[in-house]
Amino acid sequence: MTDLILRLSLAVAVILIGIAVYQLWTRARLQFLRMHSSALAGLDDWRVGVPAILYFTTPDCVPCRTIQGPAIELLRAQFGERLQIITIDASIRTDLADTWGVLSIPTTFIIDAQGQPRHVNNGVASAAKLRTQLREFAGIEPSEPNAALPSHVIPEH
Amino acid sequence: MNTQWREIDHSDLKVNQSTIITLLIIAFVLNAVWLVALVAGVMGLGTLRRQTGFRIIYAGWLKPRGIVKPQLIPDNPQPHLFAQGMGGTVLLVAVIAFALGNAIIGWALTWLVVALAALNLFVGFCAGCFVYYWLARLRVPGFSVQPLPGTFPGMRPKGRTS
Repeated sequence: MTDLILRLSLAVAVILIGIAVYQLWTRARLQFLRMHSSALAGLDDWRVGVPAILYFTTPDCVPCRTIQGPAIELLRAQFGERLQIITIDASIRTDLADTWGVLSIPTTFIIDAQGQPRHVNNGVASAAKLRTQLREFAGIEPSEPNAALPSHVIPEH
Repeated sequence: MNTQWREIDHSDLKVNQSTIITLLIIAFVLNAVWLVALVAGVMGLGTLRRQTGFRIIYAGWLKPRGIVKPQLIPDNPQPHLFAQGMGGTVLLVAVIAFALGNAIIGWALTWLVVALAALNLFVGFCAGCFVYYWLARLRVPGFSVQPLPGTFPGMRPKGRTS
């Protein structure tokens, strides 16, 4: 029994170390992006002074169509002009995906009004999670908090 | 340049990696060397059959029920098969180490496979594919496929090629 608990503890410790290394790597990547402001230069639609969500997707990405895309559209409806959403097809703009260190699709970056990348979500992030991150990292609240998903956006299931 | 890419279902690869990680961690916790041997055998058999070892879990159960949806990405199948074969071989060496009474080396090799499978699953970097592409670069016979254009050797391609 003691051996089992010891082994279980070791396994949990190794997994936690793995998670910690992954988080440290993600933070280091964000720090690198902050120090190299040229990362924003490749974004054609970037408007200075407006917080942004930088959304990396691909046409083949199923969770992008079913979850991430509708969540992004909901935020677009709720925040209006207070938020810019820049969508990048990572299969076409591989240069940008590499510059931003995109590891998986979808990936979303929260960028503050000064153009500083503040947070990254590797994988799907819900609308609620992104709203919280926008409040925390970009200091903005929805202008239409009760806005629903636009009727033309139909999540695929 | 030989690219020979085709649509690869990366959901199949991810389910395979998740299963390998889960079973090997269970093997460590329960001190079940037979489970390490089983995973090594399934990986080796899968490589010989030119498919993922635990394909039955994805193709026979998860995919038909819509629990995991296919994610087709243009990619080269050979490096993934090589990576699986490499993982299976490392586990085989681990089993031999256990049989020779060296449990520390056995578990160290097992955790190495867990770490590399996790790196592939969560970060999208396939270490075995990286080795394959380097061997192809060194023109080692049998290793001819090159990475997709614009893709770092071993990294998961981001989507459509062209």
